[in-house]
Amino acid sequence: MSFKLFFLLLKAAGWTLSISLVSILLGFALAIGLSAVLLSSKRLYRAPAELFISFFRGVPLLVQLLFIYNLLPFIGLNVPSVVAAIIGLTLCTAAYQAENLRGGFESVPRGLIEAADMAGFSVRQIFLRIKVPIAMRLTFPALVNEAIMILKSSSLVSVVGIVEVTKMAQDLASSTYLPIELFSSAALIYLVICWSIALIGRYTERALPGGVK
Amino acid sequence: MIFDPNVILKHLPEIIQGTGVTLALWIAGMAFGIALGFLVATTRRYGGKATNVVLAIPVEILRGTPFLVQIFLVYYGGPFAGLSLGPIPCGLICLTVYSAAYYSEVFRAGFAAVPHGHVEAAECLGLSRVQIIRRILLPEMALIVLPPSVNLAVILLKESAVLSIITVPELTTTISAIGSQEYAFLEAIFLLAVIYWAIVEASAKLGRIAEARLSTFRFSAP
Amino acid sequence: MTLPAINVKKLVKRFGTATVLQDIDLEVPEGKVSCLIGPSGSGKSTLLRCMAFLEESSEGMITVNGEALGFFENARGERERLPAAQIRAVRSQIGMVFQQFNLWPHMTALGNVSEALKTVHKVPKTEAEDRAMAQLKKVGLENRANHYPSQLSGGQQQRVAIARALTLSPKIMLFDEPTSALDPELTGEVLNVMRDLAAEGMTMVVVSHEIGFAATVGNQISFLDQGRLLFTGAPADVFAKPRHPRLEQFLDTYLDRGASMLV
Repeated sequence: MSFKLFFLLLKAAGWTLSISLVSILLGFALAIGLSAVLLSSKRLYRAPAELFISFFRGVPLLVQLLFIYNLLPFIGLNVPSVVAAIIGLTLCTAAYQAENLRGGFESVPRGLIEAADMAGFSVRQIFLRIKVPIAMRLTFPALVNEAIMILKSSSLVSVVGIVEVTKMAQDLASSTYLPIELFSSAALIYLVICWSIALIGRYTERALPGGVK
Repeated sequence: MIFDPNVILKHLPEIIQGTGVTLALWIAGMAFGIALGFLVATTRRYGGKATNVVLAIPVEILRGTPFLVQIFLVYYGGPFAGLSLGPIPCGLICLTVYSAAYYSEVFRAGFAAVPHGHVEAAECLGLSRVQIIRRILLPEMALIVLPPSVNLAVILLKESAVLSIITVPELTTTISAIGSQEYAFLEAIFLLAVIYWAIVEASAKLGRIAEARLSTFRFSAP
Repeated sequence: MTLPAINVKKLVKRFGTATVLQDIDLEVPEGKVSCLIGPSGSGKSTLLRCMAFLEESSEGMITVNGEALGFFENARGERERLPAAQIRAVRSQIGMVFQQFNLWPHMTALGNVSEALKTVHKVPKTEAEDRAMAQLKKVGLENRANHYPSQLSGGQQQRVAIARALTLSPKIMLFDEPTSALDPELTGEVLNVMRDLAAEGMTMVVVSHEIGFAATVGNQISFLDQGRLLFTGAPADVFAKPRHPRLEQFLDTYLDRGASMLV
């Protein structure tokens, strides 16, 4: 296999990376809102968020992507397929990340909040200075995992016609008859990215001061 | 966007068949995957350091690459390496190997999570190695690995939808075809989502029931 | 006779249907060390937590230096909850030290001690850190200021926690089993800090299994059993000639273990 083919795959990896990154970040923002609703004491507020999460965690991403890709034009939104892909990945990762965050907030030890209470912190100060930083540290490994999951899942956006690594390998394979070389190379690219994320994640985690024992 | 019950009724046999294929592939892939994964996990734990490292390589490759790429490699690349597989056997093999990689990690974590003191206590009481594995490690592990196993089962069911891309006649393939045929693709996909959702919720519920039953002997974790 | 620092009157605390504190009357004298002793589950920690308003009592009243804590009795004699700002104001006179230290894991020792000054009292960063440093020096940890809790021993963590409570200049310090989570060889350093504090005339309420500390440093000993306060008196009355059969029984189990500490 020529270097030129590998270079084409690498170029397509730009799409894989950027679509994943945008989806992770948007998903994180959405997850913050969702987790706040999940932590609400009112059943009425929680119910829709729980339904959303149950749906997006219970339906294959491929099916979600097909649904959103076909739904958007149906409701009159003619957006490029890359937008549909990002919406699909974002909603999916938001559901998972919201659950992580909720778990993180719930596992901030009560005693740490009592200590802040005794020091006169307001509810808002406790949230911003104690709960958020600790919950972020507690959920950081799960966030890294989720980033890796989404990166791998982004291969599915090939079905809505986006030429990222997998789709590029598929297209090139059908014209060059080198499927083994091309799909192995694609796999290698995914591996390198996933391992890099894991490595950076582990390094960052160690650099973060004090996890809760 | 109206659901015509007659259309669904007309295609009911196909829908049932597609669901059957999905369930069969899922359960078979998972069963083989659990068996293979358990074998890998025990070999890695008790087979010495070199074996552990060698087996880590395929496990990490399978966990670090998309399922879709794995399927493409086997389905399209297979014939070039003298391995021509139809969609269903290809799908089953890929699902098995993929789930084995993940299950082996679940079991590995399970082994590690049984408190060493429990094993030491059994050793002091004179239980043999096999007895310790059978009477102490496995029952305690069952409880530890149950929740992640149920999670993984749900993930595998969802991954099985990807098999539609290589035309395995499972649920996603079947219902998409009906959608195109009836000019009602969106409705069909929605129905598809609901069916998956129902299966996922049902299996999660089953998992919780099993967990509640097992946890009657829950030990206090360290 | 001066006003008691904390006055507990007819306090009742229920968790669901279980009554964990029954009709507690207790006066904590100012400038003295009051110790709460009793078997596990006797309600001594719950009583202390009620004094910090970390638990809300079910009936009765607590006043801190004459001011109602959490609840007050209105004109019709009904119990009514005070507004949050007022609760916070009364509570600011109290410092609390927990069994599990409860240091914030994402801040250094210095960060833990200076945080409330900066966040709550809006003291400028350098001043807050100077004041925090002074407190750390007092507990002998100025050279550990930039360590995170996970890098400190249990005893050091608990001393940081004491410094954290002290920076806010509380009038009363509450200690909830401050040495129970520590290895035996580390309890000494924490008890020494507490001894110093007592010598300075700090009003202290200490829940502890350290009978030796209670006997030597305590000015007033209260014995709780099954949610009732059975006895309050001077250490000599408690330890030299315990009259109450339950107290005698309780002390026996401790004297067996640590008799030498008492003499």
